[in-house]
Amino acid sequence: MSPQGLPLSDRRLLNVARACAVGLLVLGLLLGLRAEAQHRRQTERQVEVQADILAASVSAALAFDDRTAMAEYVDALRVNPRVAAAAVYDPDGRAVVTFRRSGVAAALSKAGPVGARFADGRVTVTRPVTQQGQRLGSVYLETQPEALSEFLGRHGALALLTVMAFVLLGVVTAAVAQLQARAGELAAANLRLREEMAARGQAEEALRQSQKMEALGQLTGGIAHDFNNLLQVVHGSFELIRRKSDDTDRVENWARNGIQAAERGASLTRQLLAFSRSQKLELVPFVAGELIGEMRELLSRTIGPDIELFFDLKDDAAPVLSDRTQLELAVLNLAINARDAMPDGGRLTLSTRVTEVGPGDPLLEPDEYVELSVADTGEGMNADVIERAFDPFFTTKGVGKGTGLGLSQVYGVARQAGGAAKIASVSGRGTTVTLMLRRSRESARPTAARTAPQPVLAPAPGCTVMVVDDEAQVRQLARETLQLLGYQVLDADGGQAALALLETTTPDLMLLDYAMPGMNGAELARLVRIHWPDMPILFASGHADTEAVDAATRRSCASPSRWRPWPRPSPRC
Amino acid sequence: MALLNRLNTYAICVAVAWLATTAPARARANQLELAVKATYLYKLAPFVNWPAAPAGTPLAICVQGDDPFGPMLDRAVAGQKVGERPVVLKRLARLEAGSGCQIAYVAGSQVQSPVQALQAVAGASVLTVTDEAHGAARGIVNLVLDGGKVRFSIDTRQADSNGIAISSKLLALAVEVKR
Repeated sequence: MSPQGLPLSDRRLLNVARACAVGLLVLGLLLGLRAEAQHRRQTERQVEVQADILAASVSAALAFDDRTAMAEYVDALRVNPRVAAAAVYDPDGRAVVTFRRSGVAAALSKAGPVGARFADGRVTVTRPVTQQGQRLGSVYLETQPEALSEFLGRHGALALLTVMAFVLLGVVTAAVAQLQARAGELAAANLRLREEMAARGQAEEALRQSQKMEALGQLTGGIAHDFNNLLQVVHGSFELIRRKSDDTDRVENWARNGIQAAERGASLTRQLLAFSRSQKLELVPFVAGELIGEMRELLSRTIGPDIELFFDLKDDAAPVLSDRTQLELAVLNLAINARDAMPDGGRLTLSTRVTEVGPGDPLLEPDEYVELSVADTGEGMNADVIERAFDPFFTTKGVGKGTGLGLSQVYGVARQAGGAAKIASVSGRGTTVTLMLRRSRESARPTAARTAPQPVLAPAPGCTVMVVDDEAQVRQLARETLQLLGYQVLDADGGQAALALLETTTPDLMLLDYAMPGMNGAELARLVRIHWPDMPILFASGHADTEAVDAATRRSCASPSRWRPWPRPSPRC
Repeated sequence: MALLNRLNTYAICVAVAWLATTAPARARANQLELAVKATYLYKLAPFVNWPAAPAGTPLAICVQGDDPFGPMLDRAVAGQKVGERPVVLKRLARLEAGSGCQIAYVAGSQVQSPVQALQAVAGASVLTVTDEAHGAARGIVNLVLDGGKVRFSIDTRQADSNGIAISSKLLALAVEVKR
């Protein structure tokens, strides 16, 4: 990697490292030179001292020309292996005694100038011989050249330290540079990752949006198709009634057809509302097994003759807290799904049993549960489908065959009953959907209220009903129906108009739509209750925020929720 | 007798012949000895300490009695210095304590025998030098011939009584040290 290619901090680091390396080398060299100079001075001094000792020793012998004595002194130097040559000179510079170790080629015949010299690793020293200031001659000493091992011994450690420091610096610098490069790469990778995450988030958002639109399209398509079919029946019935109104028997038949179609529409609406959770659940404790037992007939008719129906109800009358209607609908939905999965016939088993869930379950709290299973022997589902099966609007059926809300409703029911729903399926061998319903501590309520009360068509002369609805047609229908029942009817197209009317007249009952522009039914009811706290209020709305309605009509004499098309209400004044 | 005479004659002949051949050689050897002895006189000076020797004053070398050196000594001493002290030469018939000598070569004469000369400077700070060639009298330093070489013996008792300190280096060279 060229230094130009590095980021600024790395270049600076490299420069610092280089400067350090040069500094180290220079320092090492200076220290070495200083040590060498010191060593030379020391060696020179040592040799000088030795020469001085020799000079002092030989002074008398030199003065009196006692060569034997001088030779003895000079020979004494032999024991010092570092001495290569020695000589004693008379005052005229003539050699008197000389000593030369073998192999040493020193010229000893004439005395040199006094002083010390360091050359080629050897020290040569010439010192005067004096006695009381009297110059008697001179002595000469020469050392052996220093061995390489000695030189290395003196400088090796420092050189090694310098080299090691150099190498260490190099290694550390390289490591730091590498680390910085890695950190840079990591930072870049992190940045890329963030960008990718952001892009992925956007893509996912877009996908979700498109899935939502697709689901919405599917739903609206399905609903439109269903409603269109129903409307066709209703429309056809009315058309026939209009044309052949005199054929009373057939009119009766056509009207029944029309009403049945409208009721199926109401059922569809209910399903949609259950999904949107706008509908208030009536959670009561009851025994699921009993409910299923009561559905025997309905289920049998729903799945047709090709499918065998088995029941295995062993929940020991353990109550669960749920909404009967919703659970019924859930079981029906599952049965319909099972039927659709077994076009060539098969076996449908509904079973219940009590089971205990211990601690550590990812979905359920430890408690006793009633396990409600609906098992078929149909085509089964693959893992991909199982994963999405509870998603709202997800369906494998064709347009108009399903809304994709069935299993989603099942899941919702199970969750509302403090439990969960799960699917086990083997492709080609069948599917088992299991609802875990938390066992209730309350005892089950009897199912006597199953039969709907018959509408009471007692005339109530003198009773006045105020109808508030923004839809003129609905208003008209209500008025005519109520008038048919013998009520006096006031109508208003909205909250303001209704309040204005109340200034002059006080009705016996108010029949309110919920969704209205300006002031909705709940708001109107709240205002009415301020002045007429005992005013009975009846909501007739296909769509309502049940919480708001509840809050506004807490003390109402009427049930706050009724679904269109109306069953014929019978308020008592 | 005739034989004796013959023998005598022979002996005389031999003696004459020996004398004729060795006399010049002996004369040369004596000259060399004297020259060495002359230099020894001032070469001793650096190895000797006199008490309270005043700096700068000349160092006097005296020759008492019959001077064997002659001009040889003058030449040897000429221009010599011991430290800062120039060397001067004095020839004396009689050596006295007050003669102002630092080194005295005692040769002896009819006027003053060596023994008398030594007695004259006993106790004075004079380094007395005697020569075995001039009799049995012994000064502090006594020059001797040893194996054909001029060497010396030293009497440190005399040196001590004369208040003179002699360097151990010089003692190391002496053939004999009398303590």
